[in-house]
Amino acid sequence: MELETQEARTLLFLKERGEAWAEEVEREMGLDPSTLMRAVLGLSQRGYLSVREERSFLLSLTEEGRKYAKEGLPERRLLKKLAEGEKPVEELGDREEAAIALGWLRRKGLAEVAEGRVRLTGRGEEALSGEWPEEELLRRLSEGDLSLPALPPEGEVLERRGLVEVKERTRRLLSLTEEGRRVAGEVRLQEEVTELTHEMLVTGRWKEVRFKRYDPSEGVPPLRPGRIHPQQRIIKEVREALLAMGFVEIKSRAVESEFWNFDALFQAQDHPAREIHSNFTLSRPSRTKLPPRDLVRRVARAHERGVEGSTGWGYRFDPQVSRRAVLCSQTTAATVRYLSSHPHPPLKVFCIDRVYRHERIDYKHLAEFYQCEGIVMDEGLTFRDMLGYLKLILTTLGFERVRFRPGYFPFTEPSVEAEVYHPKRREWVEVLGAGMFRPELLRPLGVKHPVLAWGIGLSRLAMMRLGLEDIRDLFCNDLEALQHWGMGGG
Amino acid sequence: MPTLSVNFGDFCSLLGERRKGEELCEKLALMGVEAELLGKELRMEVLHNRPDLLSPEGVARALRGFLGREKGLPSYSASRSGITVRVDRSVKGIRPFIAAGVVRGAKLTEEVVASLMQTQEKLHDFLGRRRKGSIGVYDLDKVEPPLTYTSVEPEGISFVPLDFGESLTPAQILQLHPKGREYGWILQGKKRYPILLDRRGRVLSMPPIINSEDTRVTKNTTSLLIDVTGEREEWVQLGLVLMMTSLAERGFRLQTVRIRYPGRTAETPSLEPRRFELREEEARELLGLDLKAERIAEILRRMRYGVEVKGKNLTVLAPPFRADLLHTVDLLEEVAVGYGYDRIPPRVKGVNTVGRKAGVEELSDLVRLIMVGLGFTEVMTYTLTSPKVNFQMMRTGGEAVEVGNPVSEEFTILRTWLLPSLLGVLRSNRRHPLPQRIFEVGDVVLLDEKAETGAREVRRLGACVIGKGADWSHIKAVVEAVAREFGLSPEARPVDHPSFLEGRAAEFFWKGRKLGMAGEVHPEVLLSFELGHPVASLELDVEALPGKNK
Repeated sequence: MELETQEARTLLFLKERGEAWAEEVEREMGLDPSTLMRAVLGLSQRGYLSVREERSFLLSLTEEGRKYAKEGLPERRLLKKLAEGEKPVEELGDREEAAIALGWLRRKGLAEVAEGRVRLTGRGEEALSGEWPEEELLRRLSEGDLSLPALPPEGEVLERRGLVEVKERTRRLLSLTEEGRRVAGEVRLQEEVTELTHEMLVTGRWKEVRFKRYDPSEGVPPLRPGRIHPQQRIIKEVREALLAMGFVEIKSRAVESEFWNFDALFQAQDHPAREIHSNFTLSRPSRTKLPPRDLVRRVARAHERGVEGSTGWGYRFDPQVSRRAVLCSQTTAATVRYLSSHPHPPLKVFCIDRVYRHERIDYKHLAEFYQCEGIVMDEGLTFRDMLGYLKLILTTLGFERVRFRPGYFPFTEPSVEAEVYHPKRREWVEVLGAGMFRPELLRPLGVKHPVLAWGIGLSRLAMMRLGLEDIRDLFCNDLEALQHWGMGGG
Repeated sequence: MPTLSVNFGDFCSLLGERRKGEELCEKLALMGVEAELLGKELRMEVLHNRPDLLSPEGVARALRGFLGREKGLPSYSASRSGITVRVDRSVKGIRPFIAAGVVRGAKLTEEVVASLMQTQEKLHDFLGRRRKGSIGVYDLDKVEPPLTYTSVEPEGISFVPLDFGESLTPAQILQLHPKGREYGWILQGKKRYPILLDRRGRVLSMPPIINSEDTRVTKNTTSLLIDVTGEREEWVQLGLVLMMTSLAERGFRLQTVRIRYPGRTAETPSLEPRRFELREEEARELLGLDLKAERIAEILRRMRYGVEVKGKNLTVLAPPFRADLLHTVDLLEEVAVGYGYDRIPPRVKGVNTVGRKAGVEELSDLVRLIMVGLGFTEVMTYTLTSPKVNFQMMRTGGEAVEVGNPVSEEFTILRTWLLPSLLGVLRSNRRHPLPQRIFEVGDVVLLDEKAETGAREVRRLGACVIGKGADWSHIKAVVEAVAREFGLSPEARPVDHPSFLEGRAAEFFWKGRKLGMAGEVHPEVLLSFELGHPVASLELDVEALPGKNK
């Protein structure tokens, strides 16, 4: 039978003494009570040890009690005073103390009061010699505290009078059983340690010690690993899928001109999407530099009169409107900027960035969020390739069922919306809008080949992946929540 | 997207057949109309670019074609009503154009009136909330032609406006009538207001605000006069065509009105189709579909176009309400929709390009990896903020990109550094155990006169430690650890910065270039963010770290 170190030490201690009070064991072995109790419990469960409990009362004098032990109890002093003869009540001295003393004497039948005068009774006379039990207890206590197996009545009286303090306690007497004595003969003491140290390893002392056993079910303080934000993980996933398909990544700008944000996308200057309640306008900077005049003129002509057989929007284009600065509302601004400086095929680029919308934040809307947008340009691309690329992208992102619906975007024709089947919600969810850039957009930029363009609602995709209902949770920064967000989403 | 609501029974009678709700919704979706049946109400979401679908009559017209029940150009005939509208010179510069037409033989049931009012409202939204065009509908029998479209002084006339008990002047209408308050902005700055009068000088309406009570349409009305006024002739023509062709779908008869501008006249509405020329190859080139001219023609007829085929060339006539057609690509989309997106076989033509991550993202991902390795958790915060958070609570001042039309006081500028965002995150995590170690790799935006747009984004790494380890030596060790991963050993130079404890902040330099700064955050800043524990922070320019090719 394996014994813990403290169990073994206790056993050896008692082997010498036969029996001992627990407090003695604690004191002499230098153990704290709970450690000893654990050892005692272990030993008695094995039948090596028996424990006898004993109640005792520890009596000690209070400050007042010490005073009376020296001067005598007030009633004793009054008694002595009255032995000189009867006295009027008002001449008994300190009023309060006299009242207490008189009370006691009358309760014991040692004094009586008549017509305002106090005198001893016969029993009072007798009591002048001899010692009351309270006085005896006070005297004994003045020599030192007493431990009594039971509390005597005078002890109770003195406790009530606040002269004596009584502490009740239980002592445990530990004694070895026969079995215990036998085992104690065989026990060899081994040092127990909690930690393996460098010193133990180099000196070899680790062989002599015993390592404290741990309870593996006991709790430990939690560890919090560093983590990538869940929304960032989705962005990374999408980015990597597109890189693997050979797309080149470009960046958009937070502050953009209306020219690139709208005009270059063939969005008429009086288009509802350009109204003040849709986008953030800027008061600073308020004006941007326009691209070369030629480009602005070509874009203006496409708006006013159209290009290549198009009628255009038929209104008067205002370059001052183009110069206004806005917070970028669509990453298409970035892809179209790129197209204008890279008008030759083959080309595949994408952009994942923040865009801004004039929205009050609620569970469905954010004022800034991520968009992912891309284009493919090559000779001979058709709408069939548009659908093919969409399907490829969505399959790569793990969506098995995809369907296409007509859509509308001011800068694409034909336009299409792609929906994926959400197996948990059992419904089709729109995740992607796409189309082929209109000639009115492409020709002014000097692009002569078809361009497929698509945009993923990254927020919606991330919400589906992460199982969110409230769009604000995409920017959740609660550290506990982030810790509990499974790596696989959901 | 605009939403229409119509009684399902009414819609079926417009369609001319009864179908199951579910089946109907599925067909509408393939046409690009998201539909949902809620009890007896059919709710439909229409694409922005199709004002001809802003009425149930228009949707039914399109669907009849889509289902193959009707083909070709919907033809509308209109006789002359003999009514004229004289346009006074004075409306030029105020609201110069008007178009008008007459509808005879109308039977106005409750459903028809509700549908008419909805169409008018949706078209108003489409027409720039009445700015580009506003539509008036009158009981023709209460009007004595000819009419005059002119203008008056703000106090120059008075009449009882619709839904109002007493007679008001135009100026009073703008102040007192709900519609006047709602649409008064369109007339802002005008010295005279537009007005439409009949022969006896009775007011029909004060466009684009309100009609008169006198000409109100009731269930007994059988003849309607409709007018559209606005800033551009194309818009008022289109508005009128859209209204009248919708009503024609209910079997009512149309008549034209003569508009006499100074020096010229026009007969409105003009219901002439628009003409496009299309070649057979164009469908193959754009759509990738090998369709013969006859097949294309058949599809377009189902999409309600008139088509003539000559060899491989097609002459396409588009109904007058199809304002969305600018180019043959728009017709080709009609071919694709008519063919059915679900029947077009997807194909992927290989386009050989090599994928490449943006340099700044490459660096950012590396930095994220290092920070996670150092036990930091990534947070993502908004770039929109306020001067209070970005400057005042940080005990600093400065300049930033400013929003001209903010939605709330919290979001009026773009942040110029990450630290305030991070302290905000720590504030919202106060009830969680310490220490906390967070970082963000994100953009700040700085004003820059030299930049094309007047501002530029800078990618930063920001990090904070609160609780154990929130001291200078630890945060400096983090800066050095990040720098070391990129092969840098930056030099720290003390700096006095109001956001940090004096003597406990430094800027980091490598070969003369500033990488960023770090320090122990000033107690006053901590208290403004309601933080009860010390914070040490760092902020570095990610793009100052050497990338792959440097």
